[in-house]
Amino acid sequence: MKLSNDSVGARAVAELREVHKRYGKVEALRGVDLQVRPGELVALLGPNGAGKTTAVSVLLGQRRPDAGSARLFARAPTGPAARRAVGATPQVAGFPENLTVAEVVDLVRVHYEHPAATPELLERFALSGVAGRRAGGLSGGQQRRLAVALAFAGRPRLVVLDEPTTGFDLQARRELWQIVRAFVADGGAVLLTTHYLEEADALASRVVVLARGRIIAQGSVDDITARAGRSRVHVQAPSLPELPAGTQAESSNGSHILYTADPDGLVRALVRQGVPFTHLQIERASLEEAILSLTGGTS
Amino acid sequence: MRIALAHFKTQTLQHLRSPAYLLPTLAMPGLFYFLFEGPDTEVGLVTFLMASYAMWAILGVAFFQFGSGIAEERTTPWERYLRTLPLSAGQRLAGRVLSASLFAAAAAVIVIVEAHLINPVSVAASRWLPWLGALGAGGVMVGLGGIALGYWASPRAATPLATLAWLLLAYLGGLWATPTELPTWAREISPYLPTRVWGEVTWAAIQGQTASLWDWLGLLAYALGFAVLALWGYRRDEGADYR
Repeated sequence: MKLSNDSVGARAVAELREVHKRYGKVEALRGVDLQVRPGELVALLGPNGAGKTTAVSVLLGQRRPDAGSARLFARAPTGPAARRAVGATPQVAGFPENLTVAEVVDLVRVHYEHPAATPELLERFALSGVAGRRAGGLSGGQQRRLAVALAFAGRPRLVVLDEPTTGFDLQARRELWQIVRAFVADGGAVLLTTHYLEEADALASRVVVLARGRIIAQGSVDDITARAGRSRVHVQAPSLPELPAGTQAESSNGSHILYTADPDGLVRALVRQGVPFTHLQIERASLEEAILSLTGGTS
Repeated sequence: MRIALAHFKTQTLQHLRSPAYLLPTLAMPGLFYFLFEGPDTEVGLVTFLMASYAMWAILGVAFFQFGSGIAEERTTPWERYLRTLPLSAGQRLAGRVLSASLFAAAAAVIVIVEAHLINPVSVAASRWLPWLGALGAGGVMVGLGGIALGYWASPRAATPLATLAWLLLAYLGGLWATPTELPTWAREISPYLPTRVWGEVTWAAIQGQTASLWDWLGLLAYALGFAVLALWGYRRDEGADYR
């Protein structure tokens, strides 16, 4: 698949090219291309098992691709040097039980040349009050804020956020969005995986939809929303005449599913041309339904 | 180096705050030396056993800090997260080795100090360097064995396996009693065990004798074997499927 914005000037800081990855019989990734550029937030969407986690772990050098290549800042991500300007979120459940929040933050900061100051970082993520508490003993919400704080601890240029706001309340989510927006406005690059389309909608410069190991759609939020906003017109008729431009048809045995951005115009055209259709149905897909229909309805 | 030291520090803090780790590694060797050997007057024997229990103490650190530690951590989300940091496997291992060396030294020192306090142990001044050297050489060997165990044992099996190996190798290697007190069947296999060859070179060193070349070669062979297993296990783990 050709990337829609290959022509954009800035060099990608993170890149997957034709990446294949197989676990036993399961093909987790089947030729995935992905690029993230400075000042860009790419949202990676898709149902569970689509390959999001595998794509992220190949990009971060935790997994080697079976075929294709991964690059972070133009280096192979398996080497630590490639990850010097990268921050990622750990999975929330697994903080070391015997270390305090401040000790965990300090351990992570050590790996970077110009890290954020611990007190400021804790303040920004509303963790100042629990700096001395054991990381394993934090509440769910605090653990999630700590996970995101760690991604920003090294003042990275690329941040990989894996489901960052799962379990956040509305206010915490809005506050994180502010931080992420400011980071991107400053030229930071973000790769975000999320189940919340609202989150992708609020933050993403580009949305990439992954299903069964392949990218099945990508574009700006507007592109995807436009696609999502398309309606499905279902009619039965012996045959169909030429349809208005932009209409896609799937026909079998006199049953036709027509995808269009303008269902009214399509129906008027069918009537005008005297098509003897029956069983007319018009459905307007929401963004969520569109993603579901794009991904084959598996969720 | 800064990064390796930070991992050394956090790992040491984590162990210091974990009684489940401190009890077998730091407390048990000293306790067993007291319970089983107790105050005695036979200088040769108490000195010999001081070396044996110091070895057993180091073996515990090797098997628990490396063996169970690596096995339990390598599949955790936190360990996977650490792999996203600009951290090399060498730096992570260096931190682990430094921390384990500290605990191993502490565990051995506890036994040695205790032995001096309760027993008339006697080590010739010129024998200290050789016997501590032998102790350290074997420590490297069992440390590699612990790392191999950590990468080959499943997280659930690692601690029971480490415990079993720790006790069996101590007993069969002649670290608890003296090798001559072992039952006949055990005496047959004992000379081929890593703890026994380590014991032979250490006991010889502390008594001012020369260990046989075969025992040194045995020690070296075990060290190389464990190093290969450890490296193989690490490579295998690196490509493992964690989903």
